[in-house]
Amino acid sequence: MSLQTPRVLPSHLHAFHPSSGGRSTHTVRLLGTVSELRGDTATVTCGGNGDVTLILKPDSHLQMGKLVEVVGKVADLEGGQGLGIRVLGTTDWGNPADCDYKIYERVVESTHRFKSIFYDAE
Amino acid sequence: MDGGYNNYNSYGGQSGGGGGGFMPGETTSPAGGKNAERDNKTIRPVTVKQILDARQTYPESPFQIDNADVANVQFAGQVRNISTQSTNVTYKIDDGTGEIEVKQWIDSQTADGMDMDGAAKAPAKNEVELNGYAKVFGSIKNFNNKRYVGSHAVRPLTDINELHCHLLDATAIHLFFTRGPPGGAGGANGAAADTAMGGAEDYGQAQALASMSPVARKVYTLLKSESAEDTGMHMQMIATRLGLPVTDVAKAGDELISASVIFSTTDEQTWAILDYNS
Repeated sequence: MSLQTPRVLPSHLHAFHPSSGGRSTHTVRLLGTVSELRGDTATVTCGGNGDVTLILKPDSHLQMGKLVEVVGKVADLEGGQGLGIRVLGTTDWGNPADCDYKIYERVVESTHRFKSIFYDAE
Repeated sequence: MDGGYNNYNSYGGQSGGGGGGFMPGETTSPAGGKNAERDNKTIRPVTVKQILDARQTYPESPFQIDNADVANVQFAGQVRNISTQSTNVTYKIDDGTGEIEVKQWIDSQTADGMDMDGAAKAPAKNEVELNGYAKVFGSIKNFNNKRYVGSHAVRPLTDINELHCHLLDATAIHLFFTRGPPGGAGGANGAAADTAMGGAEDYGQAQALASMSPVARKVYTLLKSESAEDTGMHMQMIATRLGLPVTDVAKAGDELISASVIFSTTDEQTWAILDYNS
């Protein structure tokens, strides 16, 4: 099976957490604007859908205020602070103003509503 | 000089005649089946998962996605690997739904041209970058049980909205083939509520309408809702009601008649719904 990374919003993270079981993948794709950088963690803001904490790799290069697409695994944050994403890779999409986040929200909605063309769910 | 020219002329005439003589043979040759395949030139937007899930009914048959033949596909994804060989460039494309290899054959003529211009120009022409996004146009292939895409064109994708719109396009087309056209399905449901018997038949007609032009569907919907008399409605009247040119309506009528969902009544230009229940 090839690697599948469904596009998600913060509210979908729990469904891809390893403990939720039944899923063939815990790796997701998330789009957001870098709103905080704290060394080995960072925060991305996903339009009006909330924030997600990223656990960075040593070679992650994120820039404040840029739109980034993150591929990573859903993971528990230290100190029971909920769910975050352990980063596997990031893609810089530049200025967040160049992206209509509403289209992305529709893509995420379609991904999970018509999943047969996007990912294998058990 | 003149003689030579005339000779050439008469030679040309002969070869033309020869070509004409070949024609009947060609139409009866088994190439007929292949023509239909070549006529299907649509480029369907898909996800990589759809390409990987595409099935052939028998070896060498066209690939099918959602039970519809696909000749060409387009998709967008991240370039995970680029490997340049002497005859082709192979890209590994990942769009979040799967990964697939894309082979872009190097046109020997273009390659020669690049040699003359100097190799330095080559990278500038093709700006597809590793881990950047690319849009691919091509057709699905199998080689040694391995699925890949033989591409006609690969170009960089830099606007994220194009990527997202592509995914929505792919979803819309998937729903079109699995559930029928957006308007038709709703209309059929509405009509089914009116007559209990009409349900199944409406569904069948909705299926037939699925492959039709939007104008044909509009004409069908109008006839369905407006023509109270058995004689149906005249083409001119339909054109006025829909605010469309008569020629478009005539074309739509041809489409509907050939699919047997409507029939002509008092004259060739007056149509009624072919309704088995009334």
